[in-house]
Amino acid sequence: MPNIPTFTPSLTSMNPSYLTHLECSGCGKQYSHHEVHTFCPDCQSPLLARYDLKKARLKVDRDEVTRRKKGMWRWRELLPVLDPENEIFLGEGDTPLLSLPRLEKELGLSNLYVKDESSNPTGTFKARGLGAAISKAKELGVEKVIIPTAGNAGGAMAAYAARAGIKAHIFMPKDTPFANIEESRMAGAEVVLVDGLISDAAGMAGEKARAEGWFDVSTFKEPYRVEGKKVMGYELAEAFDWALPEVIIYPTGGGTGLVGMWKAFAELEELGWLKNTKRPRMVSVQAEGCAPVVKAFEKNATFCDFWLNAQTIASGLRVPKSFADHLILQDIYDSEGTAIAVSDESITESQKQLARMEGIFAAPEGAATLAALKELIKQGWVRPEERIILFNTGSGLKYLDHLG
Amino acid sequence: MGHNILYIEDNHDNMMLVQRALEARGYRLLKGFNGLSGLEIAEREDVDLILLDINLPDIDGYEVARRLRSSTKPTLAHIPIIAITANALKGDAEKALEAGCDVYMSKPINIRELWARVEAFVPMP
Repeated sequence: MPNIPTFTPSLTSMNPSYLTHLECSGCGKQYSHHEVHTFCPDCQSPLLARYDLKKARLKVDRDEVTRRKKGMWRWRELLPVLDPENEIFLGEGDTPLLSLPRLEKELGLSNLYVKDESSNPTGTFKARGLGAAISKAKELGVEKVIIPTAGNAGGAMAAYAARAGIKAHIFMPKDTPFANIEESRMAGAEVVLVDGLISDAAGMAGEKARAEGWFDVSTFKEPYRVEGKKVMGYELAEAFDWALPEVIIYPTGGGTGLVGMWKAFAELEELGWLKNTKRPRMVSVQAEGCAPVVKAFEKNATFCDFWLNAQTIASGLRVPKSFADHLILQDIYDSEGTAIAVSDESITESQKQLARMEGIFAAPEGAATLAALKELIKQGWVRPEERIILFNTGSGLKYLDHLG
Repeated sequence: MGHNILYIEDNHDNMMLVQRALEARGYRLLKGFNGLSGLEIAEREDVDLILLDINLPDIDGYEVARRLRSSTKPTLAHIPIIAITANALKGDAEKALEAGCDVYMSKPINIRELWARVEAFVPMP
């Protein structure tokens, strides 16, 4: 019999989430988590989920969580869904953390790893965020969802919405990889192809959401995608026996993963689960053809300027301005990290290198992290003995039409 | 003296949001609910900065920016213009800057960013 991932409630799964409220990341205003919210209506900043971590610290056993059945929802006390019946599970989470021995040798490093997110449902890390957001939407009684996407988020949303019985509407640039268009349609989503970038798709989707009253699941315009993404941070901490690594190199489009992991580290610290309090230096990687975070970081700015004429083969990095740019920048500054732009040529070269030396067919966004690492080594920004994590955010198989 | 900010915007909710935000910082908001009335206010009043929606009911924001830049009123040639739009169609940001805007912001308007961008041109009173 095939090993089909199913959600089987256990005794521990009946423990409630410790979610207490939503909080505006800009003005601090609080909102109820029992209602549907998008972003703060007062200052128009993203909302973040807050938990009673003091209580969780007393009640939740870290090592017991580790022993649970694998998957994102084993962290349910720290996730926003209150009733486990509403968790939509397709096998997301607990992706492998792979050592890269041949690349280590080539680059003169001794602790190089890749967190390979390509084994998530729909082949990318987007499954985590959309899994959390659609599960919470289901719990809140949402019937129709809409998303603008560079591709992979659309495919993930379509899959989770299908399983939740929610109607999905997706706006994506017309040059989105074929795999994303087809997987979305296959899952029953209505797909609108837009002549433009994800920012164009976002404008149109936002208008449609307002006109039709559909729930907009755009990056950071609802509070729960980041909750799914933060689990990558929990998993990393656990994999390193609760002593966080020194450097995380992460491709940044909308920035949910980077912000989510930083949130995860803060939560773990408050829970008292970490052995070291020194957090990783976060490296934001963008493409030279669309690098708003890098440009803002170099100016020590608080917000990004809208990037003009955005172009890169890494479609997930073609985000001219993230709605959470101030959170991304703040987290990079707080972590004493950096931001770095890499060329499309170096992304392609790194994609081949990862495949040929380590057997990993990475998405271009994931390959960009290796390209960035090589640059950081040249700059002397990383030390050979440091534990360095690359993030491969998805499978290269989803980008075949871009390989020519 | 004079911290007058003109916001040309047909959406009343956005107008209220921005009014509340800027008045909280001591600025005075002048309101133009379409392109032509906005131009009229800019010609008539002493204005220090213009926030300009692109999708307006009469003439679009690009045309407003072009007319402001070619105005016979000398101050309008160099007045800071921040373009703001929700419907970021392909090339909108590029077109806004080409038309004479100094900065491009997309909606939803993050108030902290708005404050920062306005203060970069017009110090808080």
